[in-house]
Amino acid sequence: MQGGSSGIGYGLKYQARCISDVKADTDYTSFLTGTLSLKEENEVHLLRLSSGGSELICEGLFSHPNEIWDLASCPFDQRIFSTVFSTGESFGAAIWQIPELYGQLNSPQLERVASLDAHVGKINCVLWWPSGRCDKLISMDEQNIFLWSLACSNKSAEVLSKDSAGMLHSLSGGAWDPHDVNAVAATGESSVQFWDLRTMKKVNSIERAHVRGVDYNPKREHILITAEDESGIHVWDLRKAKAPVQELPGHTHWTWAVKCNPEYDGLILSAGTDSAVNLWYAAASSTNEKTPESLWVQHVSV
Amino acid sequence: MATEAAPMDEKAKRMRDLLSSFYTPDPSISTSVSSISTSFDNINGPSFDADQYMDLMIKKSNLDVLLQRHVQMAAEIKNLDTDLQMLVYENYNKFISATDTIKRMKSNIFGMEGNMDQLLHKIMSVQSRSDGVNTSLFEKREHIEKLHRTRNLLRKVQFIYDLPARLQKCIKSEAYGDAVRFYTGAMPILKVYGDTSFKDCRRASEEAIEIIIKNLQTKLFSDSESIQARAEAAVLLKQLDVPIDSLKDKLLEKLEQSLDGLQIYPEEASKLAEHNASSKDEESNNQGPAKIHEDAVRGFSEAMRAYREIFPDSEERLFKLARALTTTHFENMELYIRKRVSAADFLGIFRIIWEDVVLMDEVLPEAALSDLSAEAAQVTLKQFVARTFSHLQQDISATLLKFDINQKEVVDGEVLKAVLEASGKAVLQGTTDIFQEFRQLLDENTGIFVKMNDSLIGWIQKGFQDFFRSLESHFLVLSGKTSSSNETEGLIEGKPSEKIHAGLILVLAQLSVVIEQKVIPRIAEEITASFSGGNSQAFIPGELSRVFHAASEKLLQHYIDTRTQKISNVLRKRFKTPNWVKHKEPREVHMYVDMLLQQLEEVGKEVKQILPQGTFRKHKRSDSNGSNTTTSSRSTTLHSDKMARSNSQRARSQLFETHLAKLFKQKVEIFTKVEFTQESVVTTTVKLCLKSLQEYVRLQTFNRSGFQQIQLDIQFLKAPLKETVEDEAAIDFLLDEVIVAASERCLDVTPLEPPILDKLIQAKLAKSKEHKNNNSNAVSP
Repeated sequence: MQGGSSGIGYGLKYQARCISDVKADTDYTSFLTGTLSLKEENEVHLLRLSSGGSELICEGLFSHPNEIWDLASCPFDQRIFSTVFSTGESFGAAIWQIPELYGQLNSPQLERVASLDAHVGKINCVLWWPSGRCDKLISMDEQNIFLWSLACSNKSAEVLSKDSAGMLHSLSGGAWDPHDVNAVAATGESSVQFWDLRTMKKVNSIERAHVRGVDYNPKREHILITAEDESGIHVWDLRKAKAPVQELPGHTHWTWAVKCNPEYDGLILSAGTDSAVNLWYAAASSTNEKTPESLWVQHVSV
Repeated sequence: MATEAAPMDEKAKRMRDLLSSFYTPDPSISTSVSSISTSFDNINGPSFDADQYMDLMIKKSNLDVLLQRHVQMAAEIKNLDTDLQMLVYENYNKFISATDTIKRMKSNIFGMEGNMDQLLHKIMSVQSRSDGVNTSLFEKREHIEKLHRTRNLLRKVQFIYDLPARLQKCIKSEAYGDAVRFYTGAMPILKVYGDTSFKDCRRASEEAIEIIIKNLQTKLFSDSESIQARAEAAVLLKQLDVPIDSLKDKLLEKLEQSLDGLQIYPEEASKLAEHNASSKDEESNNQGPAKIHEDAVRGFSEAMRAYREIFPDSEERLFKLARALTTTHFENMELYIRKRVSAADFLGIFRIIWEDVVLMDEVLPEAALSDLSAEAAQVTLKQFVARTFSHLQQDISATLLKFDINQKEVVDGEVLKAVLEASGKAVLQGTTDIFQEFRQLLDENTGIFVKMNDSLIGWIQKGFQDFFRSLESHFLVLSGKTSSSNETEGLIEGKPSEKIHAGLILVLAQLSVVIEQKVIPRIAEEITASFSGGNSQAFIPGELSRVFHAASEKLLQHYIDTRTQKISNVLRKRFKTPNWVKHKEPREVHMYVDMLLQQLEEVGKEVKQILPQGTFRKHKRSDSNGSNTTTSSRSTTLHSDKMARSNSQRARSQLFETHLAKLFKQKVEIFTKVEFTQESVVTTTVKLCLKSLQEYVRLQTFNRSGFQQIQLDIQFLKAPLKETVEDEAAIDFLLDEVIVAASERCLDVTPLEPPILDKLIQAKLAKSKEHKNNNSNAVSP
């Protein structure tokens, strides 16, 4: 990735499709990112924002056996993370642990904690329990959603329950509700679907085509943000999910990913295929008719 | 002689004075009378001093004069003596005659005493005689008086006995006034003796009176009777002590009911208005419904006048009634204008109502009807203005939706153009008509209208402002791009966005441009020409222009979005369905390319109908051959690039970097601002589609054949895309990007040999040509 004029840059050798903040690292602002290269050896980079905030420092560089399509850091252990990877023909998902002695070897091997190998189709993402120390994980492929129980000590993971969304829905991603740990949202071909993990059944859905990204508002309950191919960003109140509460214009091309700021309510960051990252301010209350505004646009090239 | 005469006169005068002073004891008077000389030397004056006079005489006069004076004086003294003697004598005479008279009187009176006594005696006897007569006649007179009283009583009794018959007669001749007079006359007696002597009589007359009351009541309530007669009946009833309040209530209720008849029902209103208009042109005395209505209202106001006189305490009720009529008038008017009404009709009805109000106001000036109706009229007029605008909006949206643009032939025919023209005309014509209508309103000078002119202008300006604002949001709703602010409205009115034809959105976009550039300036002109002067400047053309400018851009963007969304769906299906890793050898250009081109062709056709051509075209038809050759040569260079790249990693990373640099350089050009030209819209659509294509490619993993398929498809796309698009460089770049992305996601990059590529493309071209021919053959016979 290459920064724009005002950002801090960090160069990767190959293209990357995913980045995750290391929530468990309370001392530093850290990120994990993984490269996406079919033919070359892929790497996972652990980055840290320098104390002055002026530089991104590489804290670790680990080789990863396959190209990485999704990466998520464990919320309670900064050394553990999950990846979804592809060998070109098949997909896999695994939990990794960063070895203790990083910094010495150029490309130390990651320790594989567990393989989430119950999937058949294309795996989309792995979701960690939203906060706190819990050994629950969710993984999604295009048709199924699995709930895993992870045991780090004996390096194993077992399927607790699963549900199939059906052939037609072809799930593409999801988010775990931080306010209700039994609720998970998944984006599909034509709708956003909600699962109750206790019964492992679909409970609700928003009919909306081509949702690419989804995120719960960590500050306010029932508020969900979606990013869509053509029609930008929408804010939903799940209690009245017929129509969006707010609409942001999004990007010139597809809006790919969307995230809420964990500290400040109403700040939304979006990334699009027009090689831009937009920071939005969507006014806190839905009754307030203030038009959402784009605070900052940073063009980046991939 | 004269000197002689003067002393003679002087002498005589003095004499007379002296004699008169003799009779008048007060000397001052005599002196004042004879004021010839008051000095002491005046011999006649009271202050005469003889010694002084003598001294003066002696001093002044000589002897002769003194002697003369002496003689004169002696003569005068002699004269005076004789005069005095005369006087005494005369007085004595008079005294004697007076004494004689008194003596005679004394003797006359002496005999009168006896006569007087005689007279007194005679008068005494006359008196005693008259007393005698009186006493003797007293008894008889009393009797006569008694008899007279009895006779009167009997006459009254007779009257009462006759009363029923008389009343009957009156009933027959309908002389109710007389009957009531008789009855009220007999009432006191009947009251006293009704229970005893005149029982039958009373009953009969009461029956008769009951009939009369009944008759009077029917008369009062009968509509055929004249108001005058009814008023009289009411008066009579009041005299008969019939509980008038209930009567009044009944009457007023009747009046209230008659209000229904006076209403101008919305259904009739148009007829009324027509007649009103036509009767103005032809004969004003035409017995049209307007006339009838006027008569009815006149009758109503007459009735109110009558009732007001009959029942003075009923004013409140009447006020209420009149107010009720006025308000129902205006309510009906509101109902009436809910339908589409021309200003002329509106004014027609308004005039009728105003006439009614004036009529009633004459009768009941205290009811403040004109104020009430002025308020109501304001409300109604305001509503009328608002409704006119909403009708216009309905018209416009009806014109927009009239054409069934969801049909297939839309793209081929000129339907969109027709829609645009029709709706543009609807807007222009509609606003012109509206101006005419409002001008009529302004020209109207009946009563309240004059007062409301200013506010009317304000409403019209505000009306236009609001109209265009709501038109804009209506456009957005129609286009399915409902903004989040009017969520509910959008949910109710807006169709699901998939069902809205993209062409309509394009029409709306261009229509917004038309409104911004043509309609709003014209309206601004019109308003300054004939609707200015209101104290508020509610119509702000600048703001509206901005609004519509924004709307047109939004709608155009929305059109492009809708179109690209469709194409995106085609692409999505294309990339989701096959397993690209196990793709087979490419045999022909894939179907989706046709669909893609077809969609783009549709866009081109729609755009051609609606939007103007750009000012310049980058390349002409004649160039396309040349550009074709350059592209094929470029594809070979690309091919050789790739070969080299797979050989040497260094070269490859260099290529990669150049691509990065290229992307960085040209990125700005990919997403340029859309302009309102055919080329710009098509180019933007194509660019977005190619970008989507690239992104879809980046999500897949290809085997060699898969990559070759993509290569083939893209190669085929190149020529037709360049024909349609103005920004060739960007298209080239984007197409290359797709290839690069595919090669990056490919497990084994081995491009197709150019001859095979050409061959496959030629085959596809031939096939599509044949297909087209078949189609045209199928159509033509």
